[in-house]
Amino acid sequence: MRLIARLVPVLLLGASLAVPIAAQRAAKPAAGPTPHWPDRRVNFGPLPGGKGHWNTGVGNLSEANVKMDGAFLVDPKDIDRIAPFQPWAKALVQYRLDTRGKDDPHPRCIPPAGPRQFNTPYGLEIVDQPELKRMLVLSGGGSRSWRVIYMDGRPHPAGDDVNPTYYGHSVGHWEKDTLVVDTVGFNERFWMTRRPTGMVHTDMLHLIEHISRPDFNTLRYEVTIDDPGAYTRPWTASWNIPWTTEEVEEYFCQDNNKDTGQLVGGDTP
Amino acid sequence: MRVRLIVALSVLLTATSALAHHSFSSEYDSNKPITLKGVVTKVEWQNPHAYFYVNVKDEATGALTNWALEMGAPSGLQRLGWTRNTLQVGDQVTVEGSRARNGSNLANARNVFKDGKKLGAASSEGQGN
Repeated sequence: MRLIARLVPVLLLGASLAVPIAAQRAAKPAAGPTPHWPDRRVNFGPLPGGKGHWNTGVGNLSEANVKMDGAFLVDPKDIDRIAPFQPWAKALVQYRLDTRGKDDPHPRCIPPAGPRQFNTPYGLEIVDQPELKRMLVLSGGGSRSWRVIYMDGRPHPAGDDVNPTYYGHSVGHWEKDTLVVDTVGFNERFWMTRRPTGMVHTDMLHLIEHISRPDFNTLRYEVTIDDPGAYTRPWTASWNIPWTTEEVEEYFCQDNNKDTGQLVGGDTP
Repeated sequence: MRVRLIVALSVLLTATSALAHHSFSSEYDSNKPITLKGVVTKVEWQNPHAYFYVNVKDEATGALTNWALEMGAPSGLQRLGWTRNTLQVGDQVTVEGSRARNGSNLANARNVFKDGKKLGAASSEGQGN
């Protein structure tokens, strides 16, 4: 025991010398309560003068929170527990799973739209602009893009005024400490989640997101998918995203992207 | 206590999650491991994946083949102790990795060895990405 006691500082010193960056940068941020702005709105960012972001790359979009190996199902039969698919939607997701997501638009620099914005790696920030009555959701991953959430009470556009886009048209409001965001007007040119790969939607997609920060280090994301074009009823998935004290790094997918041509999915020819 | 300490250190040393912006298995095949020895010809230190290239010499013919090696993101490599200058053109390295499915001279590096030191590679292999 005495030997171990003597060894501990040596080992710890050795570890700190061997992995100084690992020890500092992978350290869990200090725990704390939900931060608020002076007017009591929840602050989804760092404290003034601080730094950090939401360390995305976790979570999967499935109703039953099925067991997954990354972007794929551990048990293929679980496809029926992911979501209440219409037959065509299930067949397409099955094909995309079977081909290992080789046709995924995201590695070709298409924005991580819909719920995918909250599980794409390389970070996410939520920036509050109360003087402009809007919030921005910034994506560090993919094509380094952002979504605007209008907080001024405006309605969604209707009829011919709807121009389908990747991020759609988002309006938000607060329900106590939860930001509720309602989005319509999506195009169909993206896969709406990273896990499971290949989840489908149509331009009838209507998203209702509940975003909260139950403590300093946790972002709670809950999303209801209401898409009568692809599913038989609305359904809900949720996950927690951890805080990191690192800054979002610069990453432009368009620069030197090598994945096109390397994504083949099947066996080596 | 010793066990706990070792476990704690192991967690510290492996708490370097590597994330890809594509599915690992759509590009690389874990069932096709490869070990390459060669000389670094180029280093690309950038997101979402750092790449480097090595010339591998065929001992029988002397012919050189240039291989591309994908690693994790610079942030993941930094957590392992890498900097942008860790690999230099002309360095002799050994790389363990998994071959690309498209059959080209491309592999995902799982480990890089230089001067007898294991540097890691922050690969997303095994992360199921």
